[in-house]
Amino acid sequence: MSMLKYFFKRILAMVPVIFGVMTLTFILSRMMPGNPALAMLEAQGIAKPNPEVIRAMEKALGLDQPIIIQYFRYLADLFTGQWGTSVSIARNQPVWDLIMQRLPLTIDLALFSMLIASLLGIRAGVISSTHRNKARDTVVRGMALIGVAVPVFFLGMLLQYLLGFVFPIFPTTGHKNFIYPNPEFVTGFYMIDSLISGEIYKIFDYLYHMILPVFCLSFITLAGITRQTRSSMLEILEQDYVRTARAKGCKERDVIHSHALKNALIPTVTVIGLNFAALLTGAVLTESTFGLAGIGNLLIFSIYLTDYWVLSAVVFLITLIFIFATLFTDLLYGILDPRIRY
Amino acid sequence: MEEYQIEISEEDERQEESATKKVLKWFSKNLLFLILPGSRLEDLTIRQMEYEKLISKRKFIRRLKSVLTIIGILIVLAIVTLAIFPHWISPYTFAEVGRLAVYTGVWDPPSPEHLLGQGAMGRDVLGRIIFGARASLTIALPAISFSVILGIMIGIIAAYYGGWLDAVIMRLCDILLAFPGLVLALVFIAIWGQQIQYIMLAWGILGVPYYARLIRGNVLQARALPYIEAAKVAGAGSWRIMFRHILPNVIQPIIISFTFDIGGVILGLAGLAYLGFSDASLIEWGNDINAARVYLYSAPWASLMPGFMILLTVLGFMLVGDGLRDALDPRLRNL
Repeated sequence: MSMLKYFFKRILAMVPVIFGVMTLTFILSRMMPGNPALAMLEAQGIAKPNPEVIRAMEKALGLDQPIIIQYFRYLADLFTGQWGTSVSIARNQPVWDLIMQRLPLTIDLALFSMLIASLLGIRAGVISSTHRNKARDTVVRGMALIGVAVPVFFLGMLLQYLLGFVFPIFPTTGHKNFIYPNPEFVTGFYMIDSLISGEIYKIFDYLYHMILPVFCLSFITLAGITRQTRSSMLEILEQDYVRTARAKGCKERDVIHSHALKNALIPTVTVIGLNFAALLTGAVLTESTFGLAGIGNLLIFSIYLTDYWVLSAVVFLITLIFIFATLFTDLLYGILDPRIRY
Repeated sequence: MEEYQIEISEEDERQEESATKKVLKWFSKNLLFLILPGSRLEDLTIRQMEYEKLISKRKFIRRLKSVLTIIGILIVLAIVTLAIFPHWISPYTFAEVGRLAVYTGVWDPPSPEHLLGQGAMGRDVLGRIIFGARASLTIALPAISFSVILGIMIGIIAAYYGGWLDAVIMRLCDILLAFPGLVLALVFIAIWGQQIQYIMLAWGILGVPYYARLIRGNVLQARALPYIEAAKVAGAGSWRIMFRHILPNVIQPIIISFTFDIGGVILGLAGLAYLGFSDASLIEWGNDINAARVYLYSAPWASLMPGFMILLTVLGFMLVGDGLRDALDPRLRNL
């Protein structure tokens, strides 16, 4: 019962944050330079409109009303999915469609990186803490230190050069061989659609293309998770209850996994959640390096081409994803650590 | 009796010193009190104070002596030297690697005159790397100082007064923290323009809620300690309690975070420059990587060398941060 109460409390705490995020996005998007009505008119092909035409367009967009009414209309539009129309990235295409085309790729990237980074990171942290100050520990710590300090794009470019050019093993850009057409649209996710339409070779092609970007992104998240797991495991392995478990005669494997790791996972899960922000940030840079058409790339191009609506929609979406990831981490934290539920 | 009279005359002599000297002394004394472990006001006898200073400094420096930390300190010193004295170290002058220099041999491989090859417009890559150290450090340090100072003030005020002020400030910090860093920095730069001062301001604003959060936890713990009550009973005002009693005890995680954050902001600046959202006329590592990006296969030195410098710099700061964290609080030891 208290678990449900905890869940409700956390979800309730997110609601003002989401409203605050929507308000801040609104304020920031209104502070952008340039007139959105002008941009919309240019997208429709009118190069130098009269002031009357501009005013008519402003009226159509609702920009001449008081700012409070604009704010509430903005909130209403955000909830109903009318996130505006793109003016320069994809002429006159609704932003919602544009985002939904590109979101599955970023989700795939983030999901794969997160899975690999969490599993491998926790394993590496455990190995590093149990074989302390030996060769394995030094190697893992060295790689974790480099992973925390390396810029994503540098790692990406280095891998592109070494593994794409010097030894041409992996493809360096894109998420598929450009000859292959996209599979039929069912969900938007490339792998699921290929599976449904029966073209299994496309799945392998996709995985082959995603190896380098996922490696880059996961290397950096892995480093942070390894460091955190290692330090919490070190702290826990000195505790009395671990010594008791060993004295009871538990197998060493059980001592480490069932007794120590379960408690060490608690701050690690928090770090995994916090690293999700770094993952989204890294996704922006990785998509730019590897030429993937995801949300991060959309964000950058919407700033280059000053696409007003796309920018505010993408910022809102990325923040929403991050908020939900934090919420999920909080809930997971509540499941793992019974102390905070009471 | 005679000794007493000599003491009076010494005090008279001391009042001769100028106002600036007095201000400097006050400033340095308070700064040392806030930052160094072991600085204490003269509420102890001189001998006790000297002893305390010696003991805590000895412990601190002994804990600081590990191989990795010394390597980190050396790397940081090297980068700072590159930032302060580039004209002495670089094989080419600033004009020869700057914006207006154009040479033959664009994107040439490493040669005896150009040790790391040539980059855009034939400029020397090594020279540009050396001159590029300045940009990273001089943009990162004011940005972080801004976030630290503002974050500390907001955090202490929020945690000390508590109540609705605390709730409102923490809500605002939550909202700002809900945005991923680079995304918000990109939006700020889209709004304000691509100049250095706005980049600094963007990263400064992004760091404030993090430091406010960080210090708030410790201040909440420190607020309940008995010596705060004693200070209140003795008649100390709120500001005096906040900044003279609480602050020196909660500043340790801030110092550690500061060092890690320098690395983080350098990475962020390089990321912004790589995407093209930085001042393109600046000699910066990220700008060089962006310009050399399309020539990765034909001239890898031009983009991989600046990237390696970024890695080295951030690695140095991370090592120093790790070492500081282990030295300042052995309970948080990672080693």
